[in-house]
Amino acid sequence: MTLALTLFTLIAISLGAIFFLAGTVGLLRFPDTLTRLHALTKADNLGLGLIVLGLLPQVDWPVGGLKLIAVWLVVLLAGATVGQLMAKAARSDAWNGSTDLEPPR
Amino acid sequence: MDIADFLLAAAVFVLATVALGLTRILRGPSDVDRMMAAQLLGTGGVAALLLLGVATDMNAITDLALVLALLAAFASVALVADARRPEPEPVPDDAHPEGKTRT
Amino acid sequence: MERISTQNAVEMGPPLPPAPSPTLPRKGGGGDRLLPARFALARGIAFYGCWLLLADPRLPVTTELLADLAVGVPAAVAATWSSLHLLPPTVGRMRYGALARLIWRLLSQSVVSGVDVARRALSPRLSLQPGYLTYPTRLPPGPGRAVFGALTSLMPGTLPVGTDAAGRLIYHCLDVTQPVAESLAIDEMLLLRVLGEDDGHR
Repeated sequence: MTLALTLFTLIAISLGAIFFLAGTVGLLRFPDTLTRLHALTKADNLGLGLIVLGLLPQVDWPVGGLKLIAVWLVVLLAGATVGQLMAKAARSDAWNGSTDLEPPR
Repeated sequence: MDIADFLLAAAVFVLATVALGLTRILRGPSDVDRMMAAQLLGTGGVAALLLLGVATDMNAITDLALVLALLAAFASVALVADARRPEPEPVPDDAHPEGKTRT
Repeated sequence: MERISTQNAVEMGPPLPPAPSPTLPRKGGGGDRLLPARFALARGIAFYGCWLLLADPRLPVTTELLADLAVGVPAAVAATWSSLHLLPPTVGRMRYGALARLIWRLLSQSVVSGVDVARRALSPRLSLQPGYLTYPTRLPPGPGRAVFGALTSLMPGTLPVGTDAAGRLIYHCLDVTQPVAESLAIDEMLLLRVLGEDDGHR
């Protein structure tokens, strides 16, 4: 294990952890459901991506590495899909209470 | 410091942020907000499990992470599918047999 | 994934006329009849590859290993069967150069996106200008639009929340002062190029 790879792991995982923290802070601080959803989907996906990137030099190739990437892809795909679905559910809640825009179908 | 110690520390840190985020379940206000905290638990849990798996060199933990990712996604889909269901339950046709003949 | 195998479908004849249904045309030359089998095989191999990745079988080859490998076959068959039912194969060309550009944009923009959200969340005063934006997309409803929705939900500051009565996509934006619509137009153009501009599949 060369020093450069270890350093890469340290930096990527630290950054990933910071994005998880930012996602949580956004989830707690943002004013309404939809903005909170932005914080969750975007910051956490990047956080997980960076952690996976940082772990890649530490596992056996190819199986361990490919498996990590597969897990990341599943979470990314699920996050993108579920984020949309939850936005739709949140929107219908929000529209019921406001006259801002006419409710779309 | 050993790299495994660092990975374990990172896993604990991510879990701590997830735990902080879970207060959103208490505060709500809507079901979607609560589900978002569960979704955060899914993503953060996957990250923590992956870190743990590499730190302890146990490959099976990666499979756990995959299962957790799938379960978190299904949980959210289940919530949305339930929320989408129209409020008044559609009345089955046989409940009003005379309704059909009258027209 | 299945579009990789449609590379072979293209050479079999002239470009298919716009098909009335998204499923494969059943009539036609003898080659067309082989197409579903080819799709199924390609998907089955891909699913078996996923299974191998999860099972992580270890050499050397023994009878136990062969028995272990056989367990994956029903799983791959079941996965293929359900995938063919849930997402019937469509005929169309995937442009790989455009796909590479789209993936690069997705990766770079998700970094921008995460940094953007993190900056807003961690700044002492929340700098948010949330609002809605309707975007008339050229992508027809169906898988293409679903992909666009998933893609743009990862892009900075945009989150698709549905479709309005006129068929336009509605986006929730974190900051309406950002050039959101321009950014969406770039994503849409890249995706249309991947699918082939004339959009043979629907």
